[in-house]
Amino acid sequence: MLHIKIPTRREVIEKAKAEGKKIAAVYPIHYPRELFRAFNIQPIEVWGPPKTDTKKANAHLQSYICSVVQSGLAFYLEGGINVADIIVVPHSCDSLQGLGSIYKDFIKPKQELITIYLPREKNRENVEFLSKELKRIYKQLAEFTHFEPDREKLLEEIKKEEEIDVLVAKFYKSRENLPLSSREFYTILRAREYLPVELFKNILNYALLHSSSGKLKKTGIVISGLLPEPMEILDVIDEMDGFVALDDMACCMRRVYGEGSADDPFERMAERIVNSTPDPTKGSSVDERADFLKSLIDISGAKGVVFYNVKFCEPEYFYHPLLKDKLNESGIKSIVIETDINEPISQQTITRIKAFIEMLKEESRWA
Amino acid sequence: METVKSIGIDAGSTTLKIVGVNEEGKILFTIVEDADPKVEEQTESILNKLKENYDIESSKIVATGYGSNLIKADKKITEITCHAKGIYEHFKSGGTAVDIGGQDNKVILISKGGKVIDFIMNDKCASGTGRFLENTAWRLKIPTEKMAELALNSDGEVKISSTCAVFAESEVISHLSRGEKLEHVIKGLHRAMVKRITSMIYAIGFNPPLMLSGGVAKNKAVVKMLEEELGEKPLIPENPQIMGAFGAALLGLSK
Amino acid sequence: MGLKENIKYLFSYKLIGESLIKLNTKKSYKNFKPPKNWRTDILAPPLKTGVFTKEIITRHYLEGRYVNGVKPVAWVTSGAPIEILKALGFYILYPENHGALCGARKVALEISEEAEKRGYSIDICSYARTDIGSTLSKKTPVGRLPKPDLLLCCTNICQTVLYWYRVLAEYYKVPLIVIDTPFVYDEAREHDIEYVKKQLEASIEVSERVAGKSLSFSKLKEVVRLSKMAAELWLEIMNANKNKPAPISVFDQFIHMAPIVEKRGDSETVDFYSKMLDEINDRIKNGIGAVKNERKRVLWDNLPIWYKLKFLSEFLAENGVSVVASTYTNAWGELAPMMDIERPIESMARTYIYPILNRGTGHKLKTMETMVKEFELDGAILHSDRSCKPYSVGQMDQRIKLLNELGVAALLLEADHSDPRAFADEQVISRLKAFVEMMD
Repeated sequence: MLHIKIPTRREVIEKAKAEGKKIAAVYPIHYPRELFRAFNIQPIEVWGPPKTDTKKANAHLQSYICSVVQSGLAFYLEGGINVADIIVVPHSCDSLQGLGSIYKDFIKPKQELITIYLPREKNRENVEFLSKELKRIYKQLAEFTHFEPDREKLLEEIKKEEEIDVLVAKFYKSRENLPLSSREFYTILRAREYLPVELFKNILNYALLHSSSGKLKKTGIVISGLLPEPMEILDVIDEMDGFVALDDMACCMRRVYGEGSADDPFERMAERIVNSTPDPTKGSSVDERADFLKSLIDISGAKGVVFYNVKFCEPEYFYHPLLKDKLNESGIKSIVIETDINEPISQQTITRIKAFIEMLKEESRWA
Repeated sequence: METVKSIGIDAGSTTLKIVGVNEEGKILFTIVEDADPKVEEQTESILNKLKENYDIESSKIVATGYGSNLIKADKKITEITCHAKGIYEHFKSGGTAVDIGGQDNKVILISKGGKVIDFIMNDKCASGTGRFLENTAWRLKIPTEKMAELALNSDGEVKISSTCAVFAESEVISHLSRGEKLEHVIKGLHRAMVKRITSMIYAIGFNPPLMLSGGVAKNKAVVKMLEEELGEKPLIPENPQIMGAFGAALLGLSK
Repeated sequence: MGLKENIKYLFSYKLIGESLIKLNTKKSYKNFKPPKNWRTDILAPPLKTGVFTKEIITRHYLEGRYVNGVKPVAWVTSGAPIEILKALGFYILYPENHGALCGARKVALEISEEAEKRGYSIDICSYARTDIGSTLSKKTPVGRLPKPDLLLCCTNICQTVLYWYRVLAEYYKVPLIVIDTPFVYDEAREHDIEYVKKQLEASIEVSERVAGKSLSFSKLKEVVRLSKMAAELWLEIMNANKNKPAPISVFDQFIHMAPIVEKRGDSETVDFYSKMLDEINDRIKNGIGAVKNERKRVLWDNLPIWYKLKFLSEFLAENGVSVVASTYTNAWGELAPMMDIERPIESMARTYIYPILNRGTGHKLKTMETMVKEFELDGAILHSDRSCKPYSVGQMDQRIKLLNELGVAALLLEADHSDPRAFADEQVISRLKAFVEMMD
């Protein structure tokens, strides 16, 4: 247990406003944080938030749209995004595509609306397309803020984010040596969704000071999905003497980007996103995803994979059967847990996770 | 007075099951009661009564089931592990264990050595569980026990397409109001339930034999239809309801 | 291509199957009679040219049974740019159409359960479940589906196809071409079109490799020309419904659209639709309406509910309601003018980025508003299809706008295009009754 004081979203927003920064409310998943920072804009990501009353969203979205998008809209309708000057909707899936379009055509928020189209496969053409798309957004931001950050400013912000990505990777690598519960680990990691660069860097560095040579003697789990919500699931894992060793989560690992190689800032930002780890919303191949999960298991020594699936999230659903098979062929057990970020986890879900960890422990006892 | 080495308590959503075993794992007593909302008090009074006939002073207590959090026990283990253990020790065989309970179904793959290889449970909705039949029985004012008999003796079958328990209920009513025979509809309802269970079994990869536990295993229509759908005669213990508690008791014996 | 396969193809399909089907069509065309259970009291008889729809589709699937080893086979999404493949001589299969066929024949549930058994969630698109179920179990109402040599997936209809085709690529171990089409929130930008164009160009090489021959640009132009002609005819057929009474209901269009989807780019498709247009013009001349007592005219938004076409068509016709326009059938005609025979690749890039499903929710509202005015409609049925999020998201706002700004009755109907478990007869009937009352 570490005593780290992480500022809340509200505190960050108030401080940013006081400093004359603009606020961007950003929906999942991929976007270049550095581009916004170069405009002196503080991105605050909207992953739900969980436990939102979504009744106001029910006037716009059918019940078969996932809880992340439902909450995201309900939060806006309840006034939760009023503080923002800009709303950013990346094109991550059909539901977010729809949300962006409903905002634009029907809800018409007072905020500046920015949509980002993200290309799919890793190749040169896609880097080129995305860098043009980012240039377009640059122009939109420049018009909106009456400010045009130059090449140096852009590169400076890119380098800062690249450094943070390296630091996050180090934080992951030290997981076993950190005296943190899974909930604490992810609370720190996910603070990146709204903290300014410097502050987040300090928190990570402080946490890393506490890494010791002693390793956690617990059953490691890899979690995969959109986001680790409801967080009670992490508690259940810890309660069973398990811990989350690594993840393949949209909000976390899937956005730890590699360093870019281009000198042109737009190309460099595009490279980082296009070359990210396998991601179902990009339509990565099943093999790429399976190999990635296997590598997470190898690196961390984890015993199994828990797929955390937000109900109605189609991109994730399609991969589960084949991923389960491929992991199984390599002797890796996995389980799919369906979640709704607005509902408490059911007793049955708790039982499933517990039984899964019992099974993994039994396995290693026999091994 | 016989010494009880270990006691397994399965506090399910509808019934409370308690099993005591001796050192060799032989069952000394079994108790099945409707679950009381205050399951902790109910368990305590049962244990107190047991003291009259058994030596339970040094018994290990292992709790499982939804109510297990409320019960004082030496160990708490999930129903999955407990059912697998109970079924495996009862039949001395690996295979596919299916537990059809009041509010959820579990399908567990057990290895030759008795390990849990994989398992799945039904999703949130109650279709395919015991509750699904019970609700309809209640709605139609037919005793639950009679449902199986009606289904077994039916010469026809109506297709129920809704998987949702709520929709299925309105579908049942509309079939009846259209003049379909009651037993045909009830048979259709059993079929819908069994289909849900078989699809779970296939989802995990069926590995015979099929071993049933849980209260619904007593429903002859369900058993017969499972056999029809899978082409495999299910094995059923004499007392299918206690398999979880039995497994829990056995797990109390191991270190 | 194997000799044995070729002989079997020639013998079973070309010599026997095709001739038998054609003979059969001739007979049924000559002695044309509506089916026995046809409600002639409320509906005009089916279109006589409809016997050719059946013929074209039957032949298509029959050819599919024998085509492996004879022609290269591609499985493609419904909005995919198939002109290049057509010009290379591919046999093209549309899993979505097969899914619709399974839905209409009421076997989609059984087949999709095969996928569910393997762990595919009930919350994924029912076409995808049917297709994966059919892949896993080989179950299909058409005898046998040919195995693909190539997969072509275009995201202009949804993102779902991207994950779905990844799964197919895994099962069949064949190359997958992805044509990614940026979503058009208002207008497509130059870099969007350039991006699609580059992907189309890159797809030529892969397709050529699989086909084992190189693309002839004159052939491509010819395919684009035929594709454009058929789409224009289809558009004309739909626009014929501006007449009162409307000569062909949308439920008929759902059936007769199969060739424009599946056999686009073939000359026989052009012939077929021009014949159909003649028959429709005859109907207009003689004042024949698809619904006998056409009191109210409405539009249909989103995919059909394949397993309930008859049920819905009859219920509405009984109440004098004719469904005369739909955003769905319109989608296969509205882009025809964008095709440019002289600049096939460039115009394909533009055409394939602009389907209604790849455009904003406001654009769809505008399309519906135009339909309400041009077709003089009294109401709109918006099928909220749980299997098709891109088509359905936005409908709740669109419905309110239609209601408040145009003053037409608008109903949101919850269902699914091919999974009957999402459809409850009683609820639908009571909703439709209320909808009809709203228009009175």
